Amino acid sequence: MSSQWSMIVSSFSRRKGAVICLWILGALYLLALIAPCISVHRYDDEDRNLSYCPPTTVEFFHNGHLSAPFVYGRHFTFDEFHRRIYVMDKEKRYPVRFFSQGQLIHVQEPGRLYLLGADSRGRDLFSRIVYGGRVSLSIGLLGVFISFSLGLLVGGIAGYFGGWIDAVLMRICEMFMLVPGFYLLLALRSAVPENFNSVQVYVMIVVILALIGWASLARIIRGMALSLKNRDYVAAAKLLGVPDVVIIIRHILPHTVSYSLVAMMLTIPGYILSESGLSLLGLGIQDPVPSWGNLLTEAMAIVPISFAPWILIPGLVIFVTIVCFNVVGDALRDALDPMLVTDRNT
Amino acid sequence: MKTILDIKNLTVNVGQDKILNNVSLSIPSGKIIGIVGGSGSGKTTLGLSVLNLLPTAMRVAAGSIIFEGKDLLALPSPALRCIRGFKIGMIFQEPLSAFDPLFTIGAQLDETLAAHTTLHVNQRHEKISAVLKSVEIEDPDRIADSYPHELSGGLRQRAMIAQAIIGGPRLIIADEATSSLDVTIQAKIIRLLQRLNQEQGISILFIAHDLGLVSFLAHEVAVMTQGNIVEYGQAQEILNDPKHDYTKALLKAY
Repeated sequence: MSSQWSMIVSSFSRRKGAVICLWILGALYLLALIAPCISVHRYDDEDRNLSYCPPTTVEFFHNGHLSAPFVYGRHFTFDEFHRRIYVMDKEKRYPVRFFSQGQLIHVQEPGRLYLLGADSRGRDLFSRIVYGGRVSLSIGLLGVFISFSLGLLVGGIAGYFGGWIDAVLMRICEMFMLVPGFYLLLALRSAVPENFNSVQVYVMIVVILALIGWASLARIIRGMALSLKNRDYVAAAKLLGVPDVVIIIRHILPHTVSYSLVAMMLTIPGYILSESGLSLLGLGIQDPVPSWGNLLTEAMAIVPISFAPWILIPGLVIFVTIVCFNVVGDALRDALDPMLVTDRNT
Repeated sequence: MKTILDIKNLTVNVGQDKILNNVSLSIPSGKIIGIVGGSGSGKTTLGLSVLNLLPTAMRVAAGSIIFEGKDLLALPSPALRCIRGFKIGMIFQEPLSAFDPLFTIGAQLDETLAAHTTLHVNQRHEKISAVLKSVEIEDPDRIADSYPHELSGGLRQRAMIAQAIIGGPRLIIADEATSSLDVTIQAKIIRLLQRLNQEQGISILFIAHDLGLVSFLAHEVAVMTQGNIVEYGQAQEILNDPKHDYTKALLKAY
């Protein structure tokens, strides 16, 4: 068994692209986890005088002389189209400290550092992306965890017991499957009150995503359970008086793990996209709490994009995340498929 | 002689076809009874119906199976679960497929013990070692930590027997228990079964297609064909003086 595990690992690590993607995902999750430390400003720390301020950096030279790190202050003038033009105010300097006050980069008030630019209310986009990752990345994991628990359980029970239990459970699955996913999402969303706070909305989105996703998995697991329950070791376990529930959990479901694992990796991006879609339409996480989806609402009109293209960056982050999940899931499928491994070696 | 298992007028159907036709057989306690027959003679069905493990398509149309005064066919499933594995053990033909490939031998033996006893983890561990030793496995700890595919056929079959006897059963059903083994291992397993029968007084229902093997091991032999028991008697009698045409044909083929 251990040798098989090392075979899977070595087959996976032979795919350089997948390994890189796994590292990227790991980095994204780590960033989200330590968001309060890594972000420069709080996600709701706004300065309307700095609306759509372009990206700024930490300065090390003042008038050609090396200096302790600092940021310049900014003020704006208007151009002929009455658009704001930001200029550096060389008189105002705010010191920057690293690893200070529990933050990686600490800027003294009221100085502001916009690594990826600012949004319409002058909030730091980088900090908001990092905080938004907490919502968007965890919703995928949590949603998949719930829907897979449900799907595995229902599929296992339906396949193992068969008969009328199977028939009833599968008809319920089909009821969930026959409605197109996104409309079901909207319908379920409209069924709950709109004045939820962000924690309630978060829980609601997770529950809705899980409700939509479990049915198709349950059907596939049922099919696997149908064939697995005829194995001799299931008969042997039954014979030895092992309770049915234990047989399902120990002798049926573990044999579906290679399929479930890959399916999980390929389902998470769908959940992240669904959350983004809901939030983009204003039905999901509400401002000022950021998620990658509602960060993109600012980029729905062409005018802001034309003079502040950095507001598209959350979309790029979503794109990278989803590509990474798919590449990793794909490599995992190949690594877990013993037939494919031998094919590649010959 | 006390009877441990009494099969009376058992008829099993698939649709309109009779798989077992009014079969009666009683197993005296402490004896080894052999059942011989060709493929499709109903011998495996007979073994499975004792444990109420028939495939869903098969239906018991009539008859009763009395074990320790209770009719197994009429027993509710919780009560049946106490008897299966605990009072009646089963040895399967192919031990590789009868063990879950994802778990070690020890874990699967432990599962049976955990389902039937209230023993503590350490006590269960000791019991597993003891049982593995009793089926002539030299280093029980290593075998308990092995996965089924890591063992040889003979060792696997011993582990299978260990699983069958770990609950301390009074009756073991061995369905083609030695058919997948080579002849020398087969002889060792047969001797092991004989020893279990003599030392622990476990009755054995030994199902096989090999008349020579069965008559060597069993005290009494039943010959089955087309769902009927056509001949029943002492093993030597049947070998030396077969009455039924099918038995004669079987002997000739052998």
